[in-house]
Amino acid sequence: MDPIEVLGISRNATDEEIRAAYLLKVREYPPDRAPEQFEKVRDAYEILRDPRRRLRHRLFSVDPGAPLASLFADEARPRRFVGPGPWLEVLKGK
Amino acid sequence: MPQRRFDSNETSLNAVGGTPSKAATEAGVRQLIASGDHKTALERAKELHKASSTIASEALLVDAYAERIRSLLRRNLTLEAQSLIDLVRQRYPTARTRLDELTARVVAKPRSLDDLVRPLNDPGLVAAQRAAIERVLQQDVWDLAALAGCEALPADHSLRKGAAALERAFVAATNGPVAEDALSLPEVSHRSPLAPWKLLTRAIASFYRGEDESCRRYLDGIEPQSAPQRVVPTIKAMLTGEAAAPPTPAAGALRARITRASTLRSALEALDQAFASASKGRILKAIRAVLDQCQQVSPGQLESLRQHISVRCAVADLDPAKVVVAMGGPSRHDATFLRLFARGMEESQDPEHVVVACRLWEDFRHAAVQEGWFAANGREAAALSLHIADLLRRLPEELLRELQQRAYSQAKASGEKMSYLFPEEMYQRACALDPHPESFSQWMDWAARRPGEAERVAAAWHKIRPRDIEPVLRLMKEAEARGAFGSALGYLAKVEQIDGLHSSARGTRLRLLAGSALRRLQQKKPVLAAENLAEMSALPEAQQGDRPAFLAALRFVVSAVCGHSEEAAAARADVERLLGSAAAAMLVFAVATTSKQRAIAHLGSVGDLSRTERASLPAALARVTALAAEMHLMLEVPGSWMIEVAKQFPASRQTLDAAQLRSLAESAVRAGVGDLAYAVSSAGLERGGATEVRFLLLRAQAVTGQFERRVVCAKAAAVLASQQQDAELAEEAGELVRGLFAFDHVSLTFDQARAVLQTEKAAGEPPSKRRPGPTYDDLVGGSCQCASCRRKRGEAVDPFDDLDDDDFVEDEDFGFESPPDMPPKMAEMFAEEIAKAIRRGESVEEFMARLLPGGLPRRSTRRRKKRRLR
Repeated sequence: MDPIEVLGISRNATDEEIRAAYLLKVREYPPDRAPEQFEKVRDAYEILRDPRRRLRHRLFSVDPGAPLASLFADEARPRRFVGPGPWLEVLKGK
Repeated sequence: MPQRRFDSNETSLNAVGGTPSKAATEAGVRQLIASGDHKTALERAKELHKASSTIASEALLVDAYAERIRSLLRRNLTLEAQSLIDLVRQRYPTARTRLDELTARVVAKPRSLDDLVRPLNDPGLVAAQRAAIERVLQQDVWDLAALAGCEALPADHSLRKGAAALERAFVAATNGPVAEDALSLPEVSHRSPLAPWKLLTRAIASFYRGEDESCRRYLDGIEPQSAPQRVVPTIKAMLTGEAAAPPTPAAGALRARITRASTLRSALEALDQAFASASKGRILKAIRAVLDQCQQVSPGQLESLRQHISVRCAVADLDPAKVVVAMGGPSRHDATFLRLFARGMEESQDPEHVVVACRLWEDFRHAAVQEGWFAANGREAAALSLHIADLLRRLPEELLRELQQRAYSQAKASGEKMSYLFPEEMYQRACALDPHPESFSQWMDWAARRPGEAERVAAAWHKIRPRDIEPVLRLMKEAEARGAFGSALGYLAKVEQIDGLHSSARGTRLRLLAGSALRRLQQKKPVLAAENLAEMSALPEAQQGDRPAFLAALRFVVSAVCGHSEEAAAARADVERLLGSAAAAMLVFAVATTSKQRAIAHLGSVGDLSRTERASLPAALARVTALAAEMHLMLEVPGSWMIEVAKQFPASRQTLDAAQLRSLAESAVRAGVGDLAYAVSSAGLERGGATEVRFLLLRAQAVTGQFERRVVCAKAAAVLASQQQDAELAEEAGELVRGLFAFDHVSLTFDQARAVLQTEKAAGEPPSKRRPGPTYDDLVGGSCQCASCRRKRGEAVDPFDDLDDDDFVEDEDFGFESPPDMPPKMAEMFAEEIAKAIRRGESVEEFMARLLPGGLPRRSTRRRKKRRLR
């Protein structure tokens, strides 16, 4: 998973911002309560804390084999108008 | 509510406990209930409870209420029944469970909307009943159109008008975008039973407008018991995108219809599936569909999508011309595309794709600089150069050489220099742009596999970063290896300046001075050797362990070469005093041999040694082996001496410490005396503790004739060493079995490795024909491909399969040439000896150094020199 997404920071985050985001996430996912999530956070921080690793990640982390739909991942999920019928089915309580 | 009093007789109120009047009243109430006069019964029960206010009177009152409710239900007065239930539930919470059954009956009772709302036309309708009707409207009515058209109410009734307005708004909000202003809905007051619908309609409109916060606010305001609340969880789930199971099938259907993937998304998924199927026709068709959709839905992303598709097609080896046609033109070849393409190519295992990836990364570097991604001389450019060099290391050497030769020719013809095919140029560029130890370290790692290169890289590194210790250590090591001890000592001084406590600096000066002295003796410069000796004597570390004995042996050789016989005799006496005569003889012989002064010392016959001296031979050999290893001496122990060591070992095995046992075992392995190596490894394994894994590896080296056992012991040692975090030992163990492809499949768990260790500990006796020792068929498994195992499994075995790989060893190229004047017979014997040495685990260099002081000329070295001349 993209470490930038894991820590929830911008691509141009400074060292201080990265560290602050890491500490915030560790508080959110302490190792004793959410070990798996904590591991992801720690790994992400390990990559981003070192400027050289960060640079390498920025240069080489594109994935040409990723599902093509991921190119449009930033776009909001669709919300289609479906008319009153399906809504009323739920409101009927059935 | 009156304070209740506890009546101790309440449980038997009807019998004997109550006052006569109370009891009579209660009996009367029961009688009225039984006779069906529920209204009167209820009135009496109310009076009784008002007067006594006990738990018993409350129970009686609730009973009366229950019967009254039942009578209402029997007359289809559902609304009234429901109102009464709500009232009792509110006033007497403890009776709630008793009312559940009645509530169920109310719910089950069929009634029309008209029936429900008709009482609202009555101006004298009591407030409680009105409230009850409105509660039912709020909780049950979901069909706004039906309420809007309900003829039981006048057309201008606020409920009908409100329902009609809400229905229109609801239909509009679920069919298309509706502005917030259009949903003020003044027809529905906030006190109306339809008020939750107003909030719901606004929430839906906000949801579709993408105003999620506003939507949440409206949803949170909806009355929890109201009908609109039923859809709230579904909307909230769509807001968060959470994939939790929907509460009802209808909710699931609603969510699926609203969030159904777009046509573009479906087309993208279809294209991904087409790529996975590798059907070229299907891919091309899917490309057309997906680009068509993207053009309509998300034109801004079109170019990026085309670039991705181009790369995926290139990786899938699709005809580029057909892809261009399917895409309606080529994709834009900018930095983004080149990087994507390079990444796609480098993922491939195909070396040709890797070469293309190198080219693409280089092109990306140029394009990215041009497009302003980064500076031409920045860290990014350095990282890219290192990356290209790293990719080139994945290519087979021969292919790379061929490409480089072609690049040379092309450069001459066209002037285009394809630097990206030359790892050295890439490393050079990277280190010039970003002179970071990590960059140099990667370059050094590459150079370490190329003779002479590492020293050049270390020199470049040292020049740019003189305070880094790694290149200085490498320069020192290289200088020592080629016998340039003066230079090595110079580098040692630098190491000591940078980090005097570095582990590589400790003890090195003594070893380098010793090497220098020995070298000078070889060069017949004993005076200079004496200077080294004097310098060595002044070092504190020279007084530790058996080192004084080494200094004395060196002094003996120096004095003897200088012709100072008295001093030589004194030195020799010192050696004997420090080590004993047997060890002294071996050490002096080793020093003389290494300094090419064999004439002044010879080992003599082992038979000349006294009984005591012979008994001390194992310890003596262990001590001298350790000294020889430390000072890089050439220790040649004649076979007769080794046989005597083996003979004496059982008596002295308990007197030797683990380090001495290790030295002795290594000496035995080097000399090819398997039985002695085995016996010593047994003694070492018996000791247990931290060194037992080392002795397990020595056991592997000792069982030269048993390949399966050797492999299993070595692999077990590797596993246990890794567990102990002893990387060096693990590496040695791995090295022993490297190239034995027939055993590549053998892999041990930690428990299996421990079991092997225990088995070997128990196998104290060297293997013989009668008792071959432990076998590890279960660990080696049935898949071993050696002729013997295949025959055991009943598989067909070719006669040539009986020849082990090592039987062909004489045909292999060990990278040396026999001297031109060597007789053919001797050359053949020489090759056989090398083959044996390799089976023992010895390297060609070690063998050469042991057999022929100075070694034979290495073919590769000669070729390298020729190349340099060119």
